[in-house]
Amino acid sequence: MARLTGPEVEAAISALYDRYSRTVYGVGLKILGDRPSAEELVQDVFLKVWRSAGTFDSSRSSFSTWLYRVTRSCALDLYRKRASRIPQVSDGEPHIAIARDSSAGPQEVVDESWLSWRVSRALEVLDAPHREVIELAYFGGLSQREISERTGMPLGTVKTRTTRAFKSLRTELTIQDSSREPIR
Amino acid sequence: MKCAKIHPNLPAFVLGGLESQEDAEVRRHLASCSDCRRELEELRKVNRALEAAPPPANPPSHLKDEILSQVRAEQRYLSTEDESSVAEERASSTIARSKNLRIILSSAAAAAVVAFVAIGVLLGFQREEPPVATIQLVPTPQEAAGLEGYWGVAEIRPQPSGNQQVELKLNNFEQPKPNSYYELWFVSGESRISAGSFTSVGKGETRVMLNAPPETRNYHTLLITEEHVDERPAPGDEAALKGVVP
Repeated sequence: MARLTGPEVEAAISALYDRYSRTVYGVGLKILGDRPSAEELVQDVFLKVWRSAGTFDSSRSSFSTWLYRVTRSCALDLYRKRASRIPQVSDGEPHIAIARDSSAGPQEVVDESWLSWRVSRALEVLDAPHREVIELAYFGGLSQREISERTGMPLGTVKTRTTRAFKSLRTELTIQDSSREPIR
Repeated sequence: MKCAKIHPNLPAFVLGGLESQEDAEVRRHLASCSDCRRELEELRKVNRALEAAPPPANPPSHLKDEILSQVRAEQRYLSTEDESSVAEERASSTIARSKNLRIILSSAAAAAVVAFVAIGVLLGFQREEPPVATIQLVPTPQEAAGLEGYWGVAEIRPQPSGNQQVELKLNNFEQPKPNSYYELWFVSGESRISAGSFTSVGKGETRVMLNAPPETRNYHTLLITEEHVDERPAPGDEAALKGVVP
């Protein structure tokens, strides 16, 4: 297989970033609890992908699982690095206000991230219209009728998309679960 | 109330998104329907999993530029190293990274059913992988008029041999005329490569599995034409469906 040129490497990193940065960022917010740390995590993870791509073995794990391991490792490093800092409070945006149990150690907190990762990936592979109804319902707390009014979609369409989105999420999570390998 | 009616409301019920009257109807139905109660438990599992979902948020746009800038800087540094043993070691490390980036992209692309045409890694990975590209086939303008529920999807999977396996899923694709058949083409500009011929069952779904040679990787448009038996082997003009590889 030919060696990638400089622009191809950039294109590769760019494409991977487009695909996975929301998941890495979201999991970062969940684990680390504030946006600057989550941003630092995204940066660390994708630079590590570039620097450590040689350690990825496609015969041993999926790319997503490998990237999760990279993310977890970077998150643990960041968690330890800023352990002495006082956790920042929410900046007012409701979806950033993540409650964390301060009694849990970094390992415990980061270990919980595997489910977050899987759910995030399951949401990301939904197409945009189906993801939208789930995000508005679950994260926005809107009823089906309110989603209909907010988006202009007929109520029946909202219900149909919710049903299909749930079905897809169930399938995706089942697939991920059955293909899961031990995360060490 | 029948299950056929109540089932569509169960996900919304689990999410707490029904109006009070609908919510009450679902509860009444659940009290007497064990099938729906079982379904409800499954849906609740999904709902519980959603509790672990990270908030839907995008990282700030400048982050990507910063990361790519850093990658560029590291690439420049690596490429200007001397021919010393250290430099050789770094260079081989760069090659390993580059190779693996290509593999990573193939894997990632397969996982998300998206093709990275721009960097030439569209195809050629593992046989168990999901399709590398899923292409919507839409009627050509002359075929679209008066047709209902007429559409198709093509899923392209790389094969170890280098060939591309194409699975066509066509809906309500009418049968070809007598003494005719359909042919799938990969098109690039004026060039075409045939991926094989087939017929259709008409109403309902027609599934067809075809194979195309490796050369079709660089042909980014799919075309289905109707061909007539005993005529010239060149492609006909009666295009019926068309799709563009993303």
